[in-house]
Amino acid sequence: MMGVIEGTIVWSNIIVLLALGLTMTYITTAVPNFAQASFAVVGSYIALTLLRFIGLDPYLSIPLTFIIGGLIGISTYYIALKPLIKRKASIEMLMIATLAWDLILFGIIGAYSEILGSLTKRTETLFVFTNLDFEVYGLPGRLIVSTMLVLLTIIGLYLLLYKTKFGIALRASMENPSLAEAMGINVENTRLFSWFISGSLACMAGSILPYLQEIVPQTGYFLIVSIFAASIVGGLYHIAGALIGGYIIGVSESLFTYLLSMFFGPGVLVYGKVISLIIMIIAILIIPRGVTGSILWRRLEKWLNL
Amino acid sequence: MEEVGKMVELISLILFFFGLYMIVSLSLNLEFGYGGIPNFGKALSVLTGAIIVGGILNRLLIWYFGVSGDFISASSIACYKLTEIIIQNPLVGLGIFLITVAMAMIAGAIVGALSILPSAKLREDYLGVTLLAISEVVFFITYYDVRIIGGYYGISAPDILAFIPGEYKIYAYTVLAIVTGLIIYLFLERLLNSPYGRVLRGHRENEDLIKAFGRDIMKLRIKTVALGSALASIAGVIYVFYSSNVTGNAFTRVEWTFYPFLILLLGGKGNNKGVVLGALLFVLIRILIEFYKFDIKELLHLPFEAVWIQYIFFGILALLVLCYRPEGLLKEKPIYTPPIKSKLQN
Amino acid sequence: MLNQLTFNRKSQLCNKIIIYYFGDAMVLLETKNLSKSFDGLKALDNVNINVEKSKLTLVMGPNGSGKSTLINAVSGFLKVDSGKVLFEGKDITNKEPNEIYDYGIVRTFQNPEPLKSMTVLENILISERHIGEGVINALFHSKWIKKEEEMVEKAFKILEFLKLDHRWDHPSKSLSGGQMKLLEIGRALMTNPKLIIMDEPIAGVAPGLAHDIFSHVIELKNKGLSFLIVEHRLDIVLKYVDNLYVMFNGSVIAHGEGSREIERVLNDPKVIEVYIGD
Repeated sequence: MMGVIEGTIVWSNIIVLLALGLTMTYITTAVPNFAQASFAVVGSYIALTLLRFIGLDPYLSIPLTFIIGGLIGISTYYIALKPLIKRKASIEMLMIATLAWDLILFGIIGAYSEILGSLTKRTETLFVFTNLDFEVYGLPGRLIVSTMLVLLTIIGLYLLLYKTKFGIALRASMENPSLAEAMGINVENTRLFSWFISGSLACMAGSILPYLQEIVPQTGYFLIVSIFAASIVGGLYHIAGALIGGYIIGVSESLFTYLLSMFFGPGVLVYGKVISLIIMIIAILIIPRGVTGSILWRRLEKWLNL
Repeated sequence: MEEVGKMVELISLILFFFGLYMIVSLSLNLEFGYGGIPNFGKALSVLTGAIIVGGILNRLLIWYFGVSGDFISASSIACYKLTEIIIQNPLVGLGIFLITVAMAMIAGAIVGALSILPSAKLREDYLGVTLLAISEVVFFITYYDVRIIGGYYGISAPDILAFIPGEYKIYAYTVLAIVTGLIIYLFLERLLNSPYGRVLRGHRENEDLIKAFGRDIMKLRIKTVALGSALASIAGVIYVFYSSNVTGNAFTRVEWTFYPFLILLLGGKGNNKGVVLGALLFVLIRILIEFYKFDIKELLHLPFEAVWIQYIFFGILALLVLCYRPEGLLKEKPIYTPPIKSKLQN
Repeated sequence: MLNQLTFNRKSQLCNKIIIYYFGDAMVLLETKNLSKSFDGLKALDNVNINVEKSKLTLVMGPNGSGKSTLINAVSGFLKVDSGKVLFEGKDITNKEPNEIYDYGIVRTFQNPEPLKSMTVLENILISERHIGEGVINALFHSKWIKKEEEMVEKAFKILEFLKLDHRWDHPSKSLSGGQMKLLEIGRALMTNPKLIIMDEPIAGVAPGLAHDIFSHVIELKNKGLSFLIVEHRLDIVLKYVDNLYVMFNGSVIAHGEGSREIERVLNDPKVIEVYIGD
C-alpha cells in the first residue's frame, strides 16, 4: 500500500510539472502543444546519456536537463510556431505544427536511442533508473526529489510572477495579451519565457520518470493524454489549474487503476488512461474552463483575496 | 526478370497504399478540409474498421464454425476454415467483404459521432485535443488488452480473396483499394459540390455566422464526423484483409492521423483532386523510403534505422508546407452548383 | 371654449387608446427587465426596450454601455441572468442563435465577418437554409436544384441592389471594408427576416456609402421589415430613426419616439452628460 501511495505522488508530481508547461504556453501562445510529452522523453535521454558517459547520477543531471529543456522549448516556439503566427495561421494549423514538431522529436529520440546503443553496446531503446534510486528513512529518492521539484517550481514561479516587476508584466500579458501589448509590454518576451519554462519543467520531469517506469522512444504517447487531461481539468487559462488538475488526474489514474487491478487483475492497468479521459470529458461538459475557471474557484479566489 | 518482378511488386505496393491513404485523407478532407473540424482522432476510425474485422467478424466466425479454445488460436482456426470455403466459392469471399464493410461503416459512424459528442459545441482547440485523446486511449486499450483484437500478439484475419492464386493476390488487393478509393472520390465530389459542401466551408470559416443563420453546428459536426469516420473505417477493413492479420500497433496516430493531415496540406485542403495528388506523392516517398531502407541505411552509414529519418523528414516537410505553401499544390476552388455554373457561362 | 378643450382632451385620450390598442399588436420584439452581469459587473441592468414593426429602432450610448451585450443577448449569443425576450409575443429568452433565426430574426456583426475564402455569391447564398444541406439530399441533385436556382436568382437581385453584382465570383476577402458591410446586409436580406439586427452597420464606412446603406434600409423598412440598430455615427443615422433608446452602464436612461421626442432626448441633460463623460 505504501508503494502505491508513493507511486501515486511521484506520478502526480510528474504530471503536474508537465501540465504546468502546457498551461503556460497555452496561455501565452494560445496553442495546445502536442509535443509536450516528447519534451519529457528528451529529458529522460539526456539523463541517460550523462549517466552512461560520465556516470552522473540522474538526479544530479537535473540542472543541465533544465537548461537543455528550456532551449528545446524555445526552439519549438521559434522553429515550429513563430513563422506561422507571423503569417496569421489559424489555430488548427498551429496544432498541426506542434504535431509535426512532436514527430520530429520522436524521430530524433528514436535515432538517438539507437546511436547511443551502438556507442554503449547495450540496448538503450528501453531503460529504467529504478535500481539506481536512493532511500532516506525508507522514503525513495524519487518521492523526495519530485516533491522538492514541484515545491521549488511553485515557489519559484510565485516569487517571479508576484514579486518581481518582470513577473507583473508577465502576468498582465498572460491575462490579457492585447491589452498588455497596448500598454507596451513585450508579449514576445512572455512567450519566450513560457516556452523556456515549459521545456525545462518537462525535461526535469523526464529525468525523474525513468525512476518510476520504463522509458522507450514511444513513452511520449503514454503521457500525452494524462497531461492534457490535467491541464484541461484544472483549467487551461490559469497556471494554478495545472497544479490542481495534475493532482486530480495523477491521483485518480494511479489509485483507481490500483483498485481496479485488485478486483480484475493486472490486465486492467492500461485502463488508467480511460479514467483520465473520462474525467477530462466530464470536466469539459460541466466546467469547460476547468476547476480554476469555475464560479466556485472565483469565489474562493475573492475570499482568499488573491 | 527478377528486377522487373520486384519493380511490379513495388508499384503495386505503392498503388495499394495510395488507395488506402486516398480513402482516409479524402474522409479527412470532408471533415477538416471542408468542415474545418480538426479531427486529430482520425486513426480511431481506421482502427474501428480493424476492430470490426478482428474483433467482430472473427468472433462471428468462431461462433459459426463452433471453434473452441482461446480467442487468438480459435481465430486462426476459424479464419482458416473460412478461407477453405472461399477457395471453393469466391462469392462467399466477396459477400463477407461487403458485409464487413457495411458493419465497419455503421460502427465507424457511431464511433465518430460518439467521439465528437462531448466536444461538439466547443472551440477548435478543445475539439482537436478531445478527439486526439479519445483516439489515443482506444488505441492503447486495443494494443494492451489482447482480448479485443489480440493486442500486441495480433490476430488472424480471413483471406477474402483466397480464390486468387497467391502471387496475384497483392494485385487484386491493389485493385480493390484503388477502386474503393475512386468510388469514395466520386461520392465525395458529388456530395460536396452542393449546398452541404457550402455550409461546411461556411462552418470552417466562421461558425458563429453559420449559427446566426440558423444552422445547428452541433448537428452539422456530428453528421460530418460520423460520415468521415464511416468512410475511413473502410480503409481499416481493407488493410486488415490485405495483411491477413491485425496487430494493435498498426493503427498509430502518426500513420493514420498525422500522415493524412500531411497529405491534406501537401495536396491542398478543401480540394479533393489535390488530396488525391497529395496521397500519391506521400505514398510514393514513403514506400520508396521503406523499400530502400537498408540501402539508405548503408549509403548514409546511418547508425540507426531509416524509419526514424522518415519521421523527421515528414515532420519537417509538414512544417515547410505549413509555412510556405499552406494552400497546398492545388488550391481550393469555389463550389459551383449547376445553377451557378450556368451564371458563369453567361 | 370649454367645449373645444373637452374635445381636445377627448381626442388625446382617443389617440392614447388607439396607440395603446394597436401599439401592442405593433410591438415585434420586446425585452422585459433583461439583466446580465460579468464577474459582478452589470452589463445589462433591467433593460426594457420595444422594437415596433416597420420601424427603425436605434440603441445608442457610449462605449461599454451595454449595447452590444443587448444585441448578443437578443440574438442568442449570450445567455442572460434574468428577464425575458419576447418576439411576436413568444418567449425566445436564452434560445440558441439558430433557433432564434427560425423566428425570423437575423443579425449582422460589428466587424464584418465575410467567409473570406468563399466568393461573394457564396457568402450571400449561405445565409438561407437549404434542403440540399442534408447529407443524403446533397447527393440527389433533383432534390435541391430548383431551390438552388431560385436562390441564385434572388441572390443576384440582392447583389444588384447592393451594386455588388459585378463582383459575384470574386473571393469576398477582395472586397473593400464598405463593400463587406454591404455584403453583411445582403446576407441578412436573403433570408426574408422579420427583424434585422445590425451591430454598427456603418462603422468605418465612408459617409456617401453610409447614406446609401441607410437608403437601402429605409427602402426595406417601407416594405415592412423592422430594424434594431446599434450605431455610433449619429450624424448620419439620426435622421432615419423612428425610435431611440439611450443606454448607459447597462441601463436605458432615455427613450424617445418620433422626431420631436428624439430631439428632446438628445437635448436631455442626462444624455449630454453621459456623452461628455465619455
